[in-house]
Amino acid sequence: MRLRVLVSVSAICVLCPISVLADAVVEGRVNLPKSHAPPPVMAKRYEIVTNAGVLATKPPLAVVYLDGSFPTPTSHPTKQVAQKDLAFLPPLLPVQAGTAVEFPNLDDTYHNIFSYSPAKRFDLGRYRPEERPIPSVIFDVPGLVTLRCDIHEHMRGLILVLNTPYFVITDESGRFRLSGLPSGRYTLKAWIDSKTTREQPVELKSDATLRTDFP
Amino acid sequence: MMLVVLVLTALALYFAQRNVAATAERDLRENFQAAISSLHKVQALRHSALTERCRELVLKPRLHAALEDNALDLLYPSAKDELRDLMEDAARKREEANSLQARFYRFLSSSGAIIPPPNPTEVGQLSREAEAQLTLKRLPETQQIGYVLETTHTTNGSMNEVMALPILSTETGEVISALVVGFEPYEVVDKGTGLKSGIWVNGRLHLPSLPRSTQRKIEDDFAHAVSKADGVQNSLKVTVNGAPQLLFYKPLNPGSLFPPAYEICVYSLANSIAQRRRLSWQIGGAGALLLLLGFVASHFIAARLSVPVEELAVDSEKNRAALASTSEELERSARYSADASHQLKSPVTVLRAGLEGLLNREDFKPEVYHELSGLLHQTYRLTGVIDDLLLLSRMDAGHVEIDSKPVNLSELIEEWLDDLGALPDSPDVKIEKSFPPDLYVAGEKRYTSLIVQNILENARKYNRPGGCMRVTAQSEAGDVVLLIGNTGRPIARDAQRYIFERFHRGGTRSSVSGHGLGLNLARELARLHGGGLRLVRSGHDWTEFEVRFRALHPAPAVTAEVA
Repeated sequence: MRLRVLVSVSAICVLCPISVLADAVVEGRVNLPKSHAPPPVMAKRYEIVTNAGVLATKPPLAVVYLDGSFPTPTSHPTKQVAQKDLAFLPPLLPVQAGTAVEFPNLDDTYHNIFSYSPAKRFDLGRYRPEERPIPSVIFDVPGLVTLRCDIHEHMRGLILVLNTPYFVITDESGRFRLSGLPSGRYTLKAWIDSKTTREQPVELKSDATLRTDFP
Repeated sequence: MMLVVLVLTALALYFAQRNVAATAERDLRENFQAAISSLHKVQALRHSALTERCRELVLKPRLHAALEDNALDLLYPSAKDELRDLMEDAARKREEANSLQARFYRFLSSSGAIIPPPNPTEVGQLSREAEAQLTLKRLPETQQIGYVLETTHTTNGSMNEVMALPILSTETGEVISALVVGFEPYEVVDKGTGLKSGIWVNGRLHLPSLPRSTQRKIEDDFAHAVSKADGVQNSLKVTVNGAPQLLFYKPLNPGSLFPPAYEICVYSLANSIAQRRRLSWQIGGAGALLLLLGFVASHFIAARLSVPVEELAVDSEKNRAALASTSEELERSARYSADASHQLKSPVTVLRAGLEGLLNREDFKPEVYHELSGLLHQTYRLTGVIDDLLLLSRMDAGHVEIDSKPVNLSELIEEWLDDLGALPDSPDVKIEKSFPPDLYVAGEKRYTSLIVQNILENARKYNRPGGCMRVTAQSEAGDVVLLIGNTGRPIARDAQRYIFERFHRGGTRSSVSGHGLGLNLARELARLHGGGLRLVRSGHDWTEFEVRFRALHPAPAVTAEVA
């Protein structure tokens, strides 16, 4: 409980000065790769799939973010990637560099989350569901981090570490909306998979909504 | 004869000895193959166990993470943890030889070269030469077996069995690396059978239980054999230090990306050759003894048996000569009769034609006509004699064959009785007849008819005036018996035995026509029909003949009337 209070307080502290200044909005649509008719499922889940060495979510999603040099947060915001039913949840997590990510184990078995990715190498070792404190890692270098489990070789998760606080995951049709952005000239990027990132220069104006599509 | 037996026995012994030798060699091979095949089974089991262990290892997420997530520096450190159980340590090595522990391992890069380990002591040290043998031209798609000889430490060196397993990317499914693990090969040291096994690779033989010089000799012979062989398991004989050895070899890793290696099994033939030599002496000795005993025994037996056989041989030679001369004579006489008959027929025909011509003239006195008709009658008699002679001679020569058909005997008798009654010189004879209407016999009608005619004519000819003649016929157990009796002067007792001979006319009365061939002809024909003719009795004004025929009923006529 105390932790949650701390997390929300720190989030307010980080975002407040920017949100006061920022009120530009950009919205649009990312043309996502065609997904081969996903079978209808009751519980909608996303998973990380690899195809010819490219990691992406299935069904395809994109992360749209405003590239630029923004101050890193002084305190570490905290996000979570849980292990549930022998899969990472969420499978794709965009975070700002300096964010701490917790890896709670919601299964009834051991997990051993590790990554050999250049952006972050870590190994949490084996831990049980009731492990406290929840094992966590601070991601401080921008880049894509592939999450693996040493016990369950099929498990894959992605953490996209970004140098910006302005990012959003599109919906399944590729639509996005980023609000509270600072005005100025920036590069708007759309991460589509581990090998594909599209970008467009944008000029944001206060109280204006910019419409931008990624073809 | 003795020489033939000697040669045959020698040949038999030679082949027997060869057969035994071949069997011994085949047994040896079979034993050998059995030993090798059990060795291979152990090897196959071991291979599958090793494969299973290694296959688990190449699936380890840390190895994949290091290879796929661009963290090669973490590859060997991760492998050190993952392969800790597989790698042997010094203490365990001493305890379990031929164990499933690995001696070294390496990873291959995408080009097939070795990814150099940061700390070689942790992954099992290898000489540069041995490491070079681990390098492959390309990454393997499937598991590969190879053999690597490490020659640095001892003079004999040590052989390593290596297993290369492809590591497939979980992301792309392509082969991104290979794990090469080296083990101590499974070698058989069987002191009981004298079987020694080793491995040949890259022109070098590793068979530590043999001295190095011997190994070099086998290396040379084997390299020669392998260059000519078709690559399947085979064997050859080599001589090492004057001792013959049987050498079996089998490719260990056909189709592998590693250099081809052969398993070499060497078996000393010294014992088996000595044993075979002993065996052939035994067979030869026993054979010679047997031959000697056989000669002695056969000599005695032959001496005892030969006397009656020789006598028999002489007798049979005589018999054969006599038989040949008799049959030749018979043939000649038959031919002579036939020729004579033919020669006689033509002049008789001319004579008859001349007489008939004279009879047709009208300018002779009546007594001349009487004389001429008497002469003409004689020509008919002569023709009858000639016909009978011709038939008899054909029968003697075996040229008459009976085409047996059912002949109605009753009808035949009736016809002849009718004809006889019509003859001009018929004496006043009473005829009694008793036979069923349709008596069928087997025969050819013209010959059957001749028999009946002859007997009936005799019965008429030799009858007395006012006498009687009795003809009876009946079936009797598959035969038909015809009895013909007549009154008249009986045949003299001492003449009865000659009546069936040719040209014999017992007590002939000159008034009675005939030429003494009839009875003989009738009997011969009756015999030819499978029956017979005999005189039943002759005395007290009664002479009776019996003709026996085989009964044969005609097939019932098929009629359209089916009630």
